This record gives sequence, structure tokens and C-alpha cells, in this order.
Amino acid sequence: MSRVAPTSGSKTLSFIFIALSALLLYLDITYKSFEGIKNSYKSFAISSSYVLKTISIDPLLNIYNLLTDKSKLIKENKKLKLELDESYLSNFIISSDSKFFADDNLIKTFLKKNQITNIFYLAKTKSFDTQLYFCCNQHRLFIEILNKPNNNFVGNSVINSSGIIGQIIYDKGLQEVLLLSDTTHVLPVESGEYFCNARGSGLPGKISCTYSSLIWPVEIIQGQSFYSSGLGGIYPRGILIGHVSQINRIDEVLIEFEIDLISSPLQENIFGVLDRS
Amino acid sequence: MSNISLFKTLLLLFIADYFESLIAPILINAYINLPITFLIFSYIIYKSRSNSGPIFAFSIGLYVDIISDSPIGLNAILFCLMSYLVNSYSNTFRLFSYFQVCLFFSASSLFFIGFKNLFINIDNFSYLELFISFVFNSVFFVLLAIPKFNFLKSGSRR
Repeated sequence: MSRVAPTSGSKTLSFIFIALSALLLYLDITYKSFEGIKNSYKSFAISSSYVLKTISIDPLLNIYNLLTDKSKLIKENKKLKLELDESYLSNFIISSDSKFFADDNLIKTFLKKNQITNIFYLAKTKSFDTQLYFCCNQHRLFIEILNKPNNNFVGNSVINSSGIIGQIIYDKGLQEVLLLSDTTHVLPVESGEYFCNARGSGLPGKISCTYSSLIWPVEIIQGQSFYSSGLGGIYPRGILIGHVSQINRIDEVLIEFEIDLISSPLQENIFGVLDRS
Repeated sequence: MSNISLFKTLLLLFIADYFESLIAPILINAYINLPITFLIFSYIIYKSRSNSGPIFAFSIGLYVDIISDSPIGLNAILFCLMSYLVNSYSNTFRLFSYFQVCLFFSASSLFFIGFKNLFINIDNFSYLELFISFVFNSVFFVLLAIPKFNFLKSGSRR
């Protein structure tokens, strides 16, 4: 059976919907009009997967464990769990809920090493689209701050145990982190007396700087270390950002170089959100 | 192939998107981009007995935009275009060989990847990725078409 070729009416309708799609696309890219819908969907998807896992996989795993473990081990397990519960209850005030189980020593060590005295809040990864991270310009990470106070965290910097990860740009339910390698992100960096605004390259773990050799005659060399300059007031000063990996001469005067970031959002799933106060 | 229900289409696209999100980070290391969601939608339209309207393509496109975290309207516009194209040439496809149909889908996926990269990956737009993806997709579709003779024939010869 053959299909009927599109009539002029359906052609017009197609054109209208293509125009409507183009309008939506323009609104989303220019004004970020649909961020709320996207974030609501993400929150829903994360919550649903958690609930589904709790009601489907976890009971099955428990049954499997019960069937396979020896009775002695089960008893020992119960005993240990009881002791852990008792320990948890006795440390409840110190533990302050779920933060107790998250290891913040690495973050503390990092802050101490870099002489940063800001208060920090522990956060965990909730969602990270590695597909977008590896293929495209948009590098975003969704985290959840544990024991979150009522503050708005937009603009706060996010670190892990090895360095700066990015800054929070959206704080409703989950916190959306704009990673350093996102093309819309600009990070003021310095190396000695040289300053530059390093823009995210859209490639994982890379940011880039462009400078004119007329303005800055000193040559940038491979492996040179770059640090956060603290300009802009978002990130603390003096944190190692990365090392120069590639230097490209665009023309006679303009030189672009890439910096390999020292920190990676894939490295660990515990982060620290620095308080700006 | 008869028309599949809306629920099945949505479920299929959801699974395809999930699967795509798993394999895309691996394939991209070899500069390959396989837009599974788009191809499944195209295949559904292609195999459909009747012409699907632009409202269907637009709605499905918006749905894919939301589940795949793309800019809203990007997949909608491409799905509308693909739907219009397939509906317009649905009878012409009967004259095509399987190889030509495979090339058509490869070219469509090439356009999809290029258009999408213009919006979400303009700073690292790669012609190499486009070229390799086109070759890979063409070979992949031909390989899919060879063992299942009726895979493309049943629809186009009906």
C-alpha cells in the first residue's frame, strides 16, 4: 500500500512546527528559558532511579546475600551492624546526619595545603553526563550538598581533593556546577607576573588562553604551571590549576596555549563547596 | 511493519537514548558518532504504513530533547525535517536499492551530527568526526541490511 504524498496543508504544518522548533531553540540557547524544565526532569529521573533501585534491586540483593552467606557470617554481620548503629547514635551530634559517612579528610588536607580558611560544605555527585563531557561544549555536573543550609549557593566554587572543579550556577534542589572546561566558563589564571582569562575549551580537562606576544613578550613554555589569580572573587587565589600542554601560534602575534587541568570531576564523587563569606 | 504505538515509541526512544549515552563516550574516542535515537525515530517513520504528522515528530523531538539534555528544539527541528523528508519521498524509496536507502540514512545521520554539533559543540567542530561517522554509519547500516534481507525490503517493496 502506498503512502500519500504530503498535501499543501501538511507541508504548511511542517513548516510551522519547524519554525516553532527553531524559536524554542533560539529561546533556550539565548535566554536559557527551559533550564527549569530540564532540571526538574533530572531531579525526577535521579529520584525515580533511586526509588526503583530501593524497591527492586536492593531486596533481591538482600535475598541473595541471605541465601549465600553462612549463618555465622550473618550473625557477625548483624553484630557489627548493631555496633555500628550504636556508634552512629553515640556520635549523632558530631556526625550531623549523613555527613558522618562521607570522608572529608581529603578536602580538608587540600584546603590546609593551600592555606584556605573558608568554611566548606561536603557534596556528592548526583548526576554527570559523561556523553556531553566527552563530546560537547557543555560540561556540567550535578551535585547535592549534604546538610545544606538555606543559603543560595549560586556562585560558590566547587573543589575536590586535587583542585578546583568549577562553580555552582543553579541551586534549586540539586546544584548544577559549571565545570572549568565548559566553553562558557572563564577562569582568571596567573603564572608569575603573567595573567590571562582561561576559557574552557570544550575538551575534557583542558582550558585555553590566548595572548599577544606584543603585550606579553615573555615566552610561555610547555609544562609551565598556572594558578588561580583570585580575580573575579569566585575562586580563591593561588590554587594550582594545571600545566601548559600545547602551544599554538595563531598568527605572527597571537599565541594560544592549552592548560591540562590538574583536577578532574571523574576522579572522585565527593566535593567541597566553599563558602564565600 | 505496522505502526507502533506511541507508548512503545517513547519507551524505545528512552532505551535508545540510554544506550546511546553509554556507548557515545567510548565511540567518540574513535571520532565516531552514532545517533541511535535519531536513527530509530527515522526508521519508525520510514517503516510506518501511513504518514506521521509534524505534530508527532515535533512532540517526539521535544521528548528526546528533554531526556537527552539537548537544547530544547534541537531534536524537534531535526525530527520534523526528517519526518517531512521521509514522508515526501516515501514512495520514491521503493525505487531505491537497499544500498541507496542505507546511504540515505547515513547522509541523514551525517546532517544530524553536523547540525547538532553546530549548536552544542561549535568550538570543537570536527570534520574528521563527520567523515569517520559517515563512513562508519554507512558500513554499519549495510551490515545491518545484509543478513536480514527483509529488513529494508519488506517496507520498500510493499
